Amino acid sequence: MTQEQMPDNMQELVTEIAKALVDEPSAVEVEAVEREESTVLRLRVAPGDVGKVIGKQGRTARSMRTILGAVSMKHHHRYTLDILEEHGEKQASGE
Amino acid sequence: MPIDDYSAAAQKIAAFLKTLTTLGDLRLKYRITAGAGAADPDGLEAREIYVELAGPDAGMLTQRGGELLRSLEHVAAKIIRLDPEEHDKVSFDAHNFKALRARELKLAAETAAEKVRRTGQPYSFAPMSSRERRMLHLAFRGYGDLETSSSGEGLRRFVVAYPKGYEHARERSRR
Repeated sequence: MTQEQMPDNMQELVTEIAKALVDEPSAVEVEAVEREESTVLRLRVAPGDVGKVIGKQGRTARSMRTILGAVSMKHHHRYTLDILEEHGEKQASGE
Repeated sequence: MPIDDYSAAAQKIAAFLKTLTTLGDLRLKYRITAGAGAADPDGLEAREIYVELAGPDAGMLTQRGGELLRSLEHVAAKIIRLDPEEHDKVSFDAHNFKALRARELKLAAETAAEKVRRTGQPYSFAPMSSRERRMLHLAFRGYGDLETSSSGEGLRRFVVAYPKGYEHARERSRR
């Protein structure tokens, strides 16, 4: 695997995992944003699925980040995961 | 939701692992057993689907107290839509990590039991995952004179062992 392919693969990796977790796989979008030292993968899912990718006490998001961390270590490049709330509208947090 | 279709669940988990080995480039081999064949011979795990991982990168799974192994397990349980209280039905293992950890916990339980008997005071274990807490609770079933409960929230939740009736006595004295 070449260096150039890797961000694409990581983007697809997160897409595939997220699609398996949600009820609306067609709404899953992952954007890769290159930073100096790392690549940020920005995950967007249907509003009703946000809780599914975050999980109780953030456990699902944390698990995905641990998996990304392991893959990052293998590739000697840091990938981080951002989970975005629905377009522009910030979800009410109830606080 | 009970696992009503083992082969469909196993296929979903296989697809998830394939994503990690192909796109993620992790060099892992896996064997998935579902149904009666997946049962833990020692009875410590309530598993119905057992995923054994091997290969050059399997060592990564058991580092830091098995953090990556637990993460894969958690995502897999979510992918097959298990409710939180049913997560124990899926178990991921590598290098016999689960059995070794079970043995460690059993020894820790023995040491704690001895201490509780000697002092008559509760003994708090370090925070651990729900699965490991369950193993501890099970280990204490063999001690008729002791009881266990869990305390704390989320990641900080831990098992406490105490003499039988201790908690009740304290409750009464509070009134």
